[in-house]
Amino acid sequence: MLKAGRETSYSAVANQKTDTRFMLYKNNAKTLLATTTVVSWLLLLVYVLLTAESKQAGSNAPGFAYPFISNLLIVIFIVSVFLFQRLHTEMLKGVDFIGYLWNLFSKAGVAAYLSVALYLVYRVYINYIDEQYTLLLHVVYQINFGLLVLFLAKAFYIWRQLLLHHKNKFLQIAWDWFELLLGGILLLTLFNFKYTSYVFLPLLALMGFYILFLCTNLKWVAYLTFSNKSRSLVLLGAILLSCYIFIRFFYNMADNEQLTVDYTDVGFLLLAMLFVGLYTLAAFLVSLFSLPTSSVFEQKSEDLLNFQRLSLSIQQGQSEAQVYDMLVDSTIKASDASAAWFEVIRNSDPQVTHLLNITEAQVKSIRHLLQAYNIHNMDYINNNLGRNPGFRGLGLPWKSMAILPIKSTKHLSGVLYLLKDVEGGFDHETVNVLRTFTSQTTLTIENLRLISESLQNERYKEELKIATQVQESLNPKTFPTDSWFEISTHSVAAKEVGGDFYDFLQLSESRIAIIIGDVSGKGISAAFHMAQMKGIFHGLMQQDMAPSEFMKQANSALSRCLERTSFITSSLYIIDYRMKGFMFARAGHCHTLYYNSMMDDVFYFKTDGLGLGILRDDKAYAGHIREMYYDYNPGDVMVIYTDGIVEARNLQNEEYGEDRLLYMLKQTYHLEADDIKYAIINDVNDFTGPDNVYDDQTLLVIKFRPTQQNI
Amino acid sequence: MPMKITQEIRDNTVILTLDGELDASSSVILDEELSDPEIMKYTMVLVNCQNLNYISSAGLGVFISHLQRFEDAQIRLIFYNMQDKVRNVFEILGLDLLMTIVSDYEEARSIANE
Repeated sequence: MLKAGRETSYSAVANQKTDTRFMLYKNNAKTLLATTTVVSWLLLLVYVLLTAESKQAGSNAPGFAYPFISNLLIVIFIVSVFLFQRLHTEMLKGVDFIGYLWNLFSKAGVAAYLSVALYLVYRVYINYIDEQYTLLLHVVYQINFGLLVLFLAKAFYIWRQLLLHHKNKFLQIAWDWFELLLGGILLLTLFNFKYTSYVFLPLLALMGFYILFLCTNLKWVAYLTFSNKSRSLVLLGAILLSCYIFIRFFYNMADNEQLTVDYTDVGFLLLAMLFVGLYTLAAFLVSLFSLPTSSVFEQKSEDLLNFQRLSLSIQQGQSEAQVYDMLVDSTIKASDASAAWFEVIRNSDPQVTHLLNITEAQVKSIRHLLQAYNIHNMDYINNNLGRNPGFRGLGLPWKSMAILPIKSTKHLSGVLYLLKDVEGGFDHETVNVLRTFTSQTTLTIENLRLISESLQNERYKEELKIATQVQESLNPKTFPTDSWFEISTHSVAAKEVGGDFYDFLQLSESRIAIIIGDVSGKGISAAFHMAQMKGIFHGLMQQDMAPSEFMKQANSALSRCLERTSFITSSLYIIDYRMKGFMFARAGHCHTLYYNSMMDDVFYFKTDGLGLGILRDDKAYAGHIREMYYDYNPGDVMVIYTDGIVEARNLQNEEYGEDRLLYMLKQTYHLEADDIKYAIINDVNDFTGPDNVYDDQTLLVIKFRPTQQNI
Repeated sequence: MPMKITQEIRDNTVILTLDGELDASSSVILDEELSDPEIMKYTMVLVNCQNLNYISSAGLGVFISHLQRFEDAQIRLIFYNMQDKVRNVFEILGLDLLMTIVSDYEEARSIANE
């Protein structure tokens, strides 16, 4: 890990080094090229002046005419200027096309105006002194040549930058060849070939076509907005004018007898000018003709952007209101609606939240009309409202209308109304875009709701977890351990909280009350009643009463607080170890399963008894509760449970049943209470299959021990 | 299996036929059926339990909640054709002593005519 880290940092350092080295190299190269440019131009000027001087001195002294030298200097100058610009423009990046154009115009285009100004000053001066001043003309011509080359080089490479925007491999290769060919043509100048000779004409023509092909790559124009296009038209026009000025100047001067060098002979310059001029012209024309359609593209790209904003709004945690703001804003722009309003539907009641160029009263009248036609809150487009007598009657200025509900499969969250003052305002294309917006909004709103719901659910889950813990703490974990009996308990709830309960209360030294119960229903409401019942148990049993009396009083208490559809089943046992017997009453609860060791028999106590909270009349209930007393023997086993055990079902939908429970006790009564419990629970689970608890299950196993241990 | 409840009117009697399992969700439908004020116009409500396979405590709760109301309005509520395991649930809760549960339709009718 450490090693790898170190290696990457090394390579990063190395990268940085090469970067700085490259930068240094570039800067050095630029300085070198700039120096070469200046030196070669000065040398050229000196050469030209000398030649002119010698020409003036007398045509018989042609000693100072070495066209090779001048051509060499010209080529060196051109090459260094072009290379300099090449390095310079490579640093320009980004898609600020107007910036490029401005750069081109301000740094190179003005050269033409400078040159024309210079020439005019020269002419005025010549007129003023009224004398031919050849040397000055040479200087002006040379300066203009320098400006021309500067302009061409700058334009050439800025156009390259734009031409290669969104390039592919083919275009890149085509361009590279173009540059190479131009370089080759520059070499012709070096050897003083006349490019106008018949040999080279076809080659020139081919180059012309090549340039025409290159000029078709104008993708960048499409990215200009309307205002940018108009600005670019001005700039391109100015650059075109620069080209024209240069061409005119040099072709006019070509016939001047006084000059010794004619730069129109340089084929390279001609081709470069051809390229720059044609490309500028093409860009100008394309911008001009795409001007009327640019608003469409702008609209499309804005739609796209708005669409993106809508879909991003979930991640940015925006509220529903903000999403609706965005929707109204985007759709009005997309459809160019003249009036609009938006209603949020809360509890199926519309509330107008956004209004544009329309009054509440107008909204009301339109809505009344729509309700009359029964088309409110529906996806509805009407492109000719004038034909509708009802709408015409309202005397409103609008001629088309679009109703767009924000509606998921089950939930209507809002309705958008757009109005336009022209007929056929909502064509197929516009409606498609609008529908895309509304469906995206629906999705966004739905997602926002889901997120808040899931947060709410998360909170509920936390609350339920606490409820589970509270309820678990309500069931006693440990029973009083005593030598005369052992007890084992088991309790699971089908949901987080359940309606089963059991509890005990030590009444006196030798007497203990044990209660088991089951509240009808499941879940939270059952859990509340279960807690209530436990309170009643502890409250009433403080007074130490008989089980039947307890049931009567509990029924009376519960009748006052239980809702009509709820009831509780319960059994209460009071075990007296000194008397070796127990008293019990059953209020609609499951029958007690019992093993009598003396008779070696397993059976259910089938006693009568009505559930609590069913008969809410105290006197009537008293007749429905029985009390029973039973003497136990050491080794007897009592199994107390809730219906979750006997009504447990297997995959075939069969119930576990009392018979199977009885059979289980027959097999296991000789075991300790814990083991009997585990045997029964395992058997129930085997029967139902894993994770198949549909009802709360509670099981208590009590085994009476022989008493002699205590003595 | 969802619960199906069909209602049939014969003379002064409403006959409800329960088909399926009466659990927490289906007991809501039963409650709606029994809460119908129309039912108070009759003197008898017979419940055919032949195809009632299971009854949960919520289902029992619905019958219990209407028991007193029917008694006050002197409408007799009689169950018949009840399966043994469903009857066992009624018996354990002690409801067999509060409600009239008979073996078949004829018996239910004869009780009604008393």
